[in-house]
Amino acid sequence: MKRRVKASYLSVIWNRLGVWLVVIGLFFLITVTCDNFLSRANLINVVRQICVNAIVALGATFVILGGEIDLSQGAVAALIGCEGAYFMMHMGFPVWAAISAALLTGVFIGTVTGMIITFLRVPSFIATLGVQYILQGAVLLLTNSQPISGLPESFTKLGRGYIGIIPIPTIILLIMVVIGFFVLRYTSFGRNCLATGENTQAAVLSGVSVIKTKIVIFAIAGTMSALGGIILAARLSSGQPSAASDLSLQALAAVFIGGTSRGSVMNTLAGALIIGLINNGLNLLEVNAYWQKIALGAIIIGAIALDSYRVSKESQS
Amino acid sequence: MSDKRQKVFLELKNVSKQFPGVKALSNVSLTINKGEIHALVGENGAGKSTLMKILSGAYKRDGGDIFIEGSRAEIHGPKEAEALGISIIYQELNLIPGLTVAENIYLGRQPRKNGCIAWKRMFCDAEKLLQELGIELDVKALVRGLSIAQRQMVEIAKAVSCNAKLVIMDEPTSSLTHQETQLLFKIMENIKEKGNAVIFITHRMDEIFSICDRLSVLRDGCYIGTSDVRDISRDELITMMIGRKLTQQYPDRNSKIGELLLEVSEITDGKKVGPLSFEVHRGEVVGFYGLVGAGRTELMRLLFGADRKKGGTIKLRGEEIKIHSPKESIKRGIGFVTEDRKGEGLFLPFSCAFNISLVSLRKIRKYGILNLKKEKEAAERYIKELNIVTPSRNQKAALLSGGNQQKIVVSKWLFSDLDLMILDEPTRGIDVGAKREIYEIINVLAEEGKAVIVVSSEMEEIMGISDRIYVMRDGALSGEVKKEEFSQEKISDFLLKEVNAG
Repeated sequence: MKRRVKASYLSVIWNRLGVWLVVIGLFFLITVTCDNFLSRANLINVVRQICVNAIVALGATFVILGGEIDLSQGAVAALIGCEGAYFMMHMGFPVWAAISAALLTGVFIGTVTGMIITFLRVPSFIATLGVQYILQGAVLLLTNSQPISGLPESFTKLGRGYIGIIPIPTIILLIMVVIGFFVLRYTSFGRNCLATGENTQAAVLSGVSVIKTKIVIFAIAGTMSALGGIILAARLSSGQPSAASDLSLQALAAVFIGGTSRGSVMNTLAGALIIGLINNGLNLLEVNAYWQKIALGAIIIGAIALDSYRVSKESQS
Repeated sequence: MSDKRQKVFLELKNVSKQFPGVKALSNVSLTINKGEIHALVGENGAGKSTLMKILSGAYKRDGGDIFIEGSRAEIHGPKEAEALGISIIYQELNLIPGLTVAENIYLGRQPRKNGCIAWKRMFCDAEKLLQELGIELDVKALVRGLSIAQRQMVEIAKAVSCNAKLVIMDEPTSSLTHQETQLLFKIMENIKEKGNAVIFITHRMDEIFSICDRLSVLRDGCYIGTSDVRDISRDELITMMIGRKLTQQYPDRNSKIGELLLEVSEITDGKKVGPLSFEVHRGEVVGFYGLVGAGRTELMRLLFGADRKKGGTIKLRGEEIKIHSPKESIKRGIGFVTEDRKGEGLFLPFSCAFNISLVSLRKIRKYGILNLKKEKEAAERYIKELNIVTPSRNQKAALLSGGNQQKIVVSKWLFSDLDLMILDEPTRGIDVGAKREIYEIINVLAEEGKAVIVVSSEMEEIMGISDRIYVMRDGALSGEVKKEEFSQEKISDFLLKEVNAG
């Protein structure tokens, strides 16, 4: 009973910092191997490039913590980006109205997805797969598979602009991280989300409204996907129906590399950073882009294998 | 001397095991004779499972020697333990649900013919084996459809078929009915008569005294002693186990039974339960006694809103309430400590504090924001008040012992401060010391004017703590016994009485 009073220092440090140690290690490794990594332009580039993925991954974090999965996030992002562009270019919406309408659509889609999963009892893997195809069809219908370009500068600033030296998308990301961290740690919803994901039975019997929690989780995922889609459209200066096709899985990769078993908003951010740093490092080393995919795949497997090993080690002693 | 040596199957000499920060076992010396049923007792965390894991080869001992039939043995893994004739049946049974009884018995060592499984011979062998052991089971039945008791029998058959000379059983009776337990005991006797040994780990006193030949006590990782069961009294045994005298297993209560709190009439789920009616007063502890499967848990789930009732009314404080979910019943002041604490009560990878506060987040919330300082205070208060052994409130619930886990579950309901507390088998699988502490909590609740419903399969316990007992059978109430009339005979009568459940 009194055993394990003293955990080894190493595991304490790992539990506290965990995946951030990997980020730091990677940072040094790339600094040493690539000359121009530390240049201001490059670093800003890194933090800007990860934004869309990281924001979508924040949504995925809640879904994964709640014990579900969302494969439709990329399709939501693509649809919302195009929808925003459509509102501005074809319907004459002012920028703020187009953004608000597009974001609300994201919330709506997420909510409906959540309802499909809870009320119709369709497993999330299948439900979101279905939603993904529906949305992919919808975006092609909306755009006739043509990009909607020529977006106003007041909109593209969201993806390309700076405040001081910091890219605007990075600022949006940081705000979202802070909000996400706060929601998870300091609200009942955050607790309910963790409880539902860990043990649904026990959550119900502890008075958690599991259905409500799950719907909110998917609404959040929809919102974050929408936000990611808007920033992506702003960065590309156009609504691209075929953009973001890989985004759902990239976001999940960030969540898993960040460490699901201790899943938290900060871990997801670290996961997204790791992907960003590796892509950047390999770019600087002029490694073929195809190899980058292979590296990413290997890293996902390695990260989870390492985590499983750690968990099994922990439960053994 | 040589005679004695022939009698001994297993001998441990000064076996020790150290974990970082604590000595889990220190200098345990123990002998197990052939043809005996040997009880291994001790509180949770006393070192019983560590000892078992050393015998199964899951842990490596740090010191000491193990002798099997007089010769020194090294056990590095389950395969070696099996080869040495040691078989362990864990609480979490290790059968494959999708396979038949026979396949499970011979898993990995199926009789073969030309490299293929000789199905006929396997079924035949299995049948013979079960017959020898006195187990009535269809060898072609899928394990999925078997009860826990039947699965245990399959495990035992598997152990015997491996030529086990020592079968170690870890609390095999904790989820068995009375009859099933008796059947298990018969099988244990069979094993014993064949000259093989059984180590029987249990928390139930009456079982030790009814079936075991000798017993050994562990406490805090130390070997306390071995005794013939006939030479020791219950009180002496408890003293050995907890290291102090437990003056009384069921503490006195000083509560006044007050007004009517809960009035249930004609409640039914349309299937297993009811229709039945009962009532509970403030300051009262009401016991629900019955065999496993009598519908007690189902009834409590109806009451708590975890399952939907098909008919009947529930009145709380004189007002009819309509409950559709646990959330609503909690709001109205009903709490439910479930019988399956790991599956339905706890969030194992999360901290004690998380587990304690989850039901009562509204109490530590202001403007929708959780006050973590209040959470910390509450968690620390309950850890102290209930004597929960944990290094800190941040410890994962998974790493606590059974009794302490149960106290965490109880704390979460205490913190939510409800009027009616339902406890379903609250002391299952926890040790004597923790049991008494749970009884004390129940008393405090009653003394505070709250009402407590306790579901239990242990007659002694239910008589020890209740003011009134409802006996349940086949989904209906077969009788009500008041404290003045408590007796084993009276309650057993109701247990066996036929009732019309319709």
